[in-house]
Amino acid sequence: MTFRIIIAVILGIISGYFVLPKDILNYADYIIDLGLILLLFFVGIDIGLNKSVFSRIKAKGIKILLVPIAIIAGSILGSAIAGVILKLPFNEAGAIGAGLGWYSLSSILIASYSSELSALAFISNVIRELIAIMIIPIIANKIGFIEAIAPAGATAMDTSLPIISKSTDSEITLIAFITGAICTFAVPILVPFILNL
Amino acid sequence: MTTRLLMYLAIIILGGLIGANIKLKENFIKRLGSLQTACLLFLLFVMGIKIGMDDKVINSFLSIGLNATVISIFTIGFSIIFTFIVNKLFFGGKQ
Repeated sequence: MTFRIIIAVILGIISGYFVLPKDILNYADYIIDLGLILLLFFVGIDIGLNKSVFSRIKAKGIKILLVPIAIIAGSILGSAIAGVILKLPFNEAGAIGAGLGWYSLSSILIASYSSELSALAFISNVIRELIAIMIIPIIANKIGFIEAIAPAGATAMDTSLPIISKSTDSEITLIAFITGAICTFAVPILVPFILNL
Repeated sequence: MTTRLLMYLAIIILGGLIGANIKLKENFIKRLGSLQTACLLFLLFVMGIKIGMDDKVINSFLSIGLNATVISIFTIGFSIIFTFIVNKLFFGGKQ
């Protein structure tokens, strides 16, 4: 799966850069939205076919919230450590990590602070999403299903969700959606907060 | 943002209700997997096109790509480590 995912993304980048006319870009967002809606619908059917999911999620209860907390804490600490290596101040590096893969919003939130940092946040979070898309099937296979949610961050709610759904089971898919939603709400709060530390 | 979240949630719930209540043809359920894969790969292809067409992304990719990649790797790495610890302590480890 990972191999096919990588090929699809690379083929897209190459044809976007070299082959296709620019006006396709106007349709790209519609196509992505449509594709996403269709995929999420299928994800829903998968969950619906597994009726025991909800009782299993209920059994785990409030503990599920630990998953987004761990992802957020890990993301901020990880980017802060990368910041030490790259000689970036803690607040700047941490704010990039707090973007949690949501590249458009995190770069907008940082834009008024510094356009250089904003570009770094954008690219870094694009790369986070690309790496997430590629390694989720591997993490699910080699480490564990819950850990497979971690690379996705905020995108566990949308673009990464179909991949998590394919690589894990219905229960984890539901936890991933909840995690992604919490991360999505956390980004606009955390990025300005860490930036101002 | 909230509208998007609600829209996604509504779509997943709609799919869930159909999956749980309507008796779907065995054939359709079998095909669901490959249908998802095809959809997913197409979606990723279009996402790739979007990235490839954005000159700003491609150019800054070349200049700050290495630093950005270092940050992404650490960010992902530590999220996995923290989730692994949470899984071990509270969910009984490997699923």
